[in-house]
Amino acid sequence: MDLSQYAELFLAESREHLSACNQLLLEWERSPANLAPVGGLFRAVHTVKGMAATMGYARVTELAHRAENLLDLLRRGGRPATDEVLQLLFRARDALEQAVELSVVGREDEIDVAEVVADLDGAAAQLGRGGEGGGGIGARTTPVPAPAPAVETPATAGRLVQVTLRAEAPLKGGRALLAIKKAQAVGPVRAVTPPESAFEADEFDGRFSFRIGGGAGVAEIERAVRAAGDVEHVTVGGEERRAAPGAGGPSAAPETKSRHIRVDLGRLDSLMDLIGELVTVRGRLNDLAAYARDPAIDDVAIQVSRLSRELQAEIIQARMTPVWQVFDRFPRLVRDLARELGKQVAFRVEGKEIELDRAILDELGDPLLHLLRNAVDHGVEPLAERRRRGKKPEAEIVLAAVRERASVAISVSDDGRGIDRKKILERAKRDGVVDPHAEALTDDQLLRVLARPGFSTAEAVTSVSGRGVGIDVAVTRIRALGGSIDIRSEEGKGTTFVMRLPVTLAIVRALIAGVGAERYALPLTYVAETVEFGVQATTIVEGREAIVLRDRVVPLVHLRRLLGVSGDAPTRCPIIVLEMGERTSGIVVDGMLGQQEIVVKGFDAPHGTLPVFSGATIMGDGVPALILDAGGLL
Amino acid sequence: MSDAGVVRLLLFRVGSLVCAAEAERVREILPRLQPTRIPGAPPVVAGVVNVRGTLVTVVEGWRALRQPEPSADGGGGEGGSGTTVLLEVGGGKKVLGFTVDEVVDLVSVGGEALERRQALPGIDPTLVRAVGRLAGQLFVVLDTDALLTPILSS
Repeated sequence: MDLSQYAELFLAESREHLSACNQLLLEWERSPANLAPVGGLFRAVHTVKGMAATMGYARVTELAHRAENLLDLLRRGGRPATDEVLQLLFRARDALEQAVELSVVGREDEIDVAEVVADLDGAAAQLGRGGEGGGGIGARTTPVPAPAPAVETPATAGRLVQVTLRAEAPLKGGRALLAIKKAQAVGPVRAVTPPESAFEADEFDGRFSFRIGGGAGVAEIERAVRAAGDVEHVTVGGEERRAAPGAGGPSAAPETKSRHIRVDLGRLDSLMDLIGELVTVRGRLNDLAAYARDPAIDDVAIQVSRLSRELQAEIIQARMTPVWQVFDRFPRLVRDLARELGKQVAFRVEGKEIELDRAILDELGDPLLHLLRNAVDHGVEPLAERRRRGKKPEAEIVLAAVRERASVAISVSDDGRGIDRKKILERAKRDGVVDPHAEALTDDQLLRVLARPGFSTAEAVTSVSGRGVGIDVAVTRIRALGGSIDIRSEEGKGTTFVMRLPVTLAIVRALIAGVGAERYALPLTYVAETVEFGVQATTIVEGREAIVLRDRVVPLVHLRRLLGVSGDAPTRCPIIVLEMGERTSGIVVDGMLGQQEIVVKGFDAPHGTLPVFSGATIMGDGVPALILDAGGLL
Repeated sequence: MSDAGVVRLLLFRVGSLVCAAEAERVREILPRLQPTRIPGAPPVVAGVVNVRGTLVTVVEGWRALRQPEPSADGGGGEGGSGTTVLLEVGGGKKVLGFTVDEVVDLVSVGGEALERRQALPGIDPTLVRAVGRLAGQLFVVLDTDALLTPILSS
């Protein structure tokens, strides 16, 4: 019997529980006298232990078991946690996480848990001694299964054994296999219903039956089955022949509440690809319908449009993931870093429930990590400096997500010392990033200087000015996602980075612009308005052609020139005004070809490709059009 | 490509050259598709085409092999070569299109029929994996990775 197919599920569920442990430990650390988190910790570790035992991961089981013992003593002891115990629990959680990750890839041997286990046992022993007689160092805390009533029935050709697993049991398939394995130890097992191959199906609800031969008694069989764990109910003997073996699957699950299943991300991706195709074909159908002018075809085209739009919305919704799935690991990270640096930081997360496309969210971890690390390391001043400046000793770092029109803004702000612009300005002048006569750096210029690759590593700018490490990484990554980064920094008061990201990458509404014979798509996410060029007076601001729009200077980008399209531009042409945070830009094109939904696809960009494209899409006529990236144009 | 075993090769013509690519690297043979220009890309790149919903970057064969531009009527396409061969590059991780004038044949040749890299007039020797002869016709087995990988950015 092969359990390896459950490894991934085990990993996913263990990660969830271990992430919960982190949150609970942090909560406990904030108020050590409040024992509410201990119960949750105990349950999470207990569940991981159970799953690991099912999978046969001895070290994870061992480690979880020792941690569980200590937690149980703490839970019963009812005393506030000491810092020492908390640190030990943090360590144990981390070791457990490592053990889980390595076990799943078959590298369990590489884990050395001896030290943590010894420390856990030591702590447990201490508590046990100090506590009111505390029943046991290393005592098993799992409830011993209640002995079943010893009603013996004469042995038959095989007893029918019906098993129901607990509804909330994870890895039901693995658990069922284990129960059968345990049963085999007391007698030959046959007629497993549903067949073992069905255990791994999503529909498997944890009910199964089998026949067991040999002379084992009811109690013995029941005990064997229950030893697999997570068993809700066992009937041995066959008195309750509700479902004859082999007569189809178990009856429908009684629960009617909203149920969740795990779906492989790859499936969602391929669904998205398919709906993308459908959207493309829909565009073609609409073109044909417009051409045919046949009301019957129109009707069908309209229906297809409506259905595919609904389907698309549903699939996009299915891909939406709340940001906490990535944010949840940061409280621990910030805490660890602050501790290491001897700083006090109150970390707050806002807008946890805001949703983003999974594909975007997955890419956000790294940039956020860099920004948070910077905030703790360089943004927040050492204690003495904070006191000198009359700030409260505990610094505040906020990670917040906010929905804005078609995008989501994610910000990282600190109330630290801010960026020393003079230092950066000097450096920028030396590097020729700004005019040597410049007197000050705008926020925008500041970011441009900081985001230069290599700027951070050179000359320890970070320790002097307080910023730099990884900003280039963050900026590049966010741009690649079709987003933007802005910075606001005030000396002595703090720094804020704001990232703006499209909610989904897969399908977006876009303007289709024509330049010569070529077409380009420009996502509406950052389009503020369109105005006509030729009517507007243009001026020159800082050496760039610009228009003035309601007292705002909008620098122009001639797409024709930028993209090297031959021929002359018409005298009057539209300007698409892009707005991204504080930055704005007017894109001059030859003509507007309309607005439509486009499916964003990647392509292999040859070297030299202008860095203003975020991908390409397939137009209704089947010919690709490149997608302009607002971030690149600004 | 082993020295002894039998290799299946796709033979195609680009200008005056008869070239070959290992058949196992050939994903598909398509008629010429209308490419969309990629601004900033080198001239050797024809653009990006739509292959049943997947975007494929296409390299202009005659430019890559420094052959004269095919005439509009001769190649069968609009001022370009008539056929697009989809080739796997970098161990199948990517697929690029390569335009050729025409596909000549699919042949199986024994390793002994191929000579290891050999200097040939008119073609960069680093692009040649071997040279073979079939019914008196000389052909060049291209190192498609060496030819196509440098065109992609990292």
